Amino acid sequence: MNEKNKELEEIRKELVIERLRQAPPTVKIAFGSLNEFMNRDELIDQVQKETDIGKRIVKLQIEYLRAFKKGMLQGV
Amino acid sequence: MACVLFSRPNDDITLSYLFYYSKELVSESNNLGYKTINKEGKEANKEIIISVIKKQNPELIMFNGHGSPTEICGDNEEVIISVEENPEILKDSIVYSLSCSSAFKLGPKSIENGAISFIGYDFEFALGKDSESEASPRHDKIAKLFLEPSNILFSSLLNKRSVKDSVAKAKKKMEDNINYLHTTDRFPEAIYYAPFLFSNYLGLVVHGDKEASIN
Repeated sequence: MNEKNKELEEIRKELVIERLRQAPPTVKIAFGSLNEFMNRDELIDQVQKETDIGKRIVKLQIEYLRAFKKGMLQGV
Repeated sequence: MACVLFSRPNDDITLSYLFYYSKELVSESNNLGYKTINKEGKEANKEIIISVIKKQNPELIMFNGHGSPTEICGDNEEVIISVEENPEILKDSIVYSLSCSSAFKLGPKSIENGAISFIGYDFEFALGKDSESEASPRHDKIAKLFLEPSNILFSSLLNKRSVKDSVAKAKKKMEDNINYLHTTDRFPEAIYYAPFLFSNYLGLVVHGDKEASIN
């Protein structure tokens, strides 16, 4: 990954962490190979540590924001 | 009448949600008169499931469980089907795999080895939970939004609709639920669940014959 892409990934990661921080602590998600539900802080932890699950969380949040921007979420 | 097989492990909290929601599908299958074989809890293991498939040749199979791009698991995360070991076991079946990522590699591999259709998820399956429900799937208004589309899909297959139509119905329900999460003001955390359901929406795929249905 070149420097520009690394920088972009870092910006995406921070964006997703900020977005997750705005969620109430009551949010609970089961995701991936973990057998338990994760709360907001555990989701953030996965993203910060750049685990496979954390990377997927960043990707899905960005896909969602892109879809929203393109107006796909009215239809979806 | 067609034979329908369910593999329903129930050994952790996330699986307990899938277990609860798929219960009504087992009843529906029975009510529709199919030969319904329900292997749940500890019985959802490799030895039993493989034996049932070999003896009964089910036309339709639903797997609940953990998974990966190359495998579907049963009770206690025992691998039941994997790309390396036994993809041919799904020959002549329509398969719905409600497990993480198994459509990604196992899906196409099973089709190469004779499965009719493989419906599943390319990505990790996400499941939201209402913190107020305290692990009670029945009362969980968030989990319902994630699992109802899955039930609509399999119910549609049981009612002899094509794979393509069944997936389209599930996707439509996901769209409705995403829009609900995105717009409702009934609970403040709703919008934070929407990206995860959107991921399920994007990840739900079909391999093999899209026009297939059970007889």
